[in-house]
Amino acid sequence: MTRPAEDGTVLDSVRRGDARALEELYRRHSSRLYALLLRMLRETADAEEVLQETFIDAWRRAREYAASRGSVEAWLITIARSRAIDRLRNRGARLRLVKQTEQLALAEPAQPGPPDVHAQTRLRRALGTLPPEQRRAIELAYWDGLSQSEISRETGDPLGTVKTRVRLGLQRLAELLAG
Amino acid sequence: MTHQEFLDQVDAYALGALEPAEARVLEQHLASEGPHPLCEAALARARETVATLAADLKPVSPPPGVWEGIARVIAQGQEPAPRAPQAREPVPPTPREPARAPRRIPAWTYGLAAAAVVTLVVAGVQVRGARQSAAMASASAAECAKELAEARIDALRKEDALQLLVEPGTQLVSLKATPDAHGPLAQSSGVVIFNARGRALFLGKSFPGQPTRDYELWLIRGGNTIAAGLLSPGPDGRVFADVRPEVLTGGRPQNFAVSIEQKGGERDAPKGPVIFLGAVAAP
Repeated sequence: MTRPAEDGTVLDSVRRGDARALEELYRRHSSRLYALLLRMLRETADAEEVLQETFIDAWRRAREYAASRGSVEAWLITIARSRAIDRLRNRGARLRLVKQTEQLALAEPAQPGPPDVHAQTRLRRALGTLPPEQRRAIELAYWDGLSQSEISRETGDPLGTVKTRVRLGLQRLAELLAG
Repeated sequence: MTHQEFLDQVDAYALGALEPAEARVLEQHLASEGPHPLCEAALARARETVATLAADLKPVSPPPGVWEGIARVIAQGQEPAPRAPQAREPVPPTPREPARAPRRIPAWTYGLAAAAVVTLVVAGVQVRGARQSAAMASASAAECAKELAEARIDALRKEDALQLLVEPGTQLVSLKATPDAHGPLAQSSGVVIFNARGRALFLGKSFPGQPTRDYELWLIRGGNTIAAGLLSPGPDGRVFADVRPEVLTGGRPQNFAVSIEQKGGERDAPKGPVIFLGAVAAP
C-alpha cells in the first residue's frame, strides 16, 4: 500500500502534465488494479484494455480528483471498476459467472512487493462477520458488477431488501475495517 | 435530491451498484450542491471501504505492453484536459476561480468576524487594495474578516464532522420527515452522526426559521424521551449542533427525533409536533 500523501503529490504532478508522474502512479497501483480487473472481467485481454483506459482516464481527468472524496488509490479503483462494470454490462454478463481464478495463475508474478497481509487479514475477518446475505449482495455488486436491481432478480429478494443489505453491509464493513 | 437521500444511496453508488440513471442523480447532486462536508465525507468513507475489498487479491504485474500503450496515447501531445463543464467529479472551487455569489452569513458568526478583525489589526495584516481610501480600506478589512470567519467556521464544522465520521463505531442516523412536517418543513432534512463512545452531531438543511418557537432534538432510549438540545437554524436554514454529551452516557439510544416546541423547549417529553424521526441501527 502506498501512502495517500505521496500519491497526492504524484497526482499534482500528473495534473501539470508530467508523464513521468503518471508512470510512477502506474508503477504503484497497476498490479493491484490489474488483479482486480482480472478477477472482475475474467479475460486477460479485457483486463489489459481496461487497465489502459483507467490510466488514460486518470491522465485526462486528473484535475477532477478531489481528496475530500477519497484517496488516490480509491479514486483509481473507482475509475477501473466503473469501466469494468460498463464492460460487463455491455457484454451481457449479468448473471454470476463461475470464478475463473486460473486467469490469475497464468499471469506474471507480482513485482512490487508482497501483498498487504495485515489488510487481507482484517478484510477476511470483517467479511466473515457480515451476515451471509449482506456479504453475498456486496460480492455480487463488487465482483460481478451487478446493480441492486440485478441482484434482486438474481437472488429473488425484494429490491428494498437488497438496498438495505448493501447499505448496512458496507457501513458495517467500514466500521470493522476502521476499528 | 436531498443530502439525506444522497447519504442513503452513497454506499451503493461507491460500490457501482446503482443503475446508470440513479448514479447520475447522485453525481448531479454533488455537482450542483458544491462542497458539502457530510456528503463528501460519506462518499470518501464508502470509496475507501470499497477499495479495501480488493486488499485480498494478490497483486499481478500487467504485461509491459499495457504501459507502452498508455505511453503512446499520452505522448501524442494530449495534456491533462481542463475540467469539462459537466465534470463527473466536481472539485471545490479554488480561490482563483471566479467569485461566487455572496453567501449569507449566520448572524452568530459576526462575533467571530469582529474577533477576526481585531486579530487582523493587531497582527498588522495589510489588506490588498486598501490604499484607495481609509473608508474603503475599512470596508475591505471588515469584508475580508467576515469571509475569514466564515471560512474558519466552515472548516471547523467540516473538520469536526469528518473527525467524528472516521472514528470507529460512528453511525449516520437518517431522520425521516413525519406527516407533521408540513409546508416548507417537507423540504428539510436532518442527520445525526452518532458514536457510541458518547459524541453526536446534528446536521440539518432547509430548516425554516421559527420566530416564536424552537426546534428541539430528542433522544429516545428504553421508552424514555430525553431532551438533547435546541436546534437553531442559521439564516440559510442550515443547522449544525452538538448533542448534549450528558444525554449520551446512559446506553445506546434507539431513536432520535426533532419536535417544534415553545421557546426554550421542553424538559421531559415533546409537547409539540414531532417532525423528524430516525432509528439507530443495531450494532
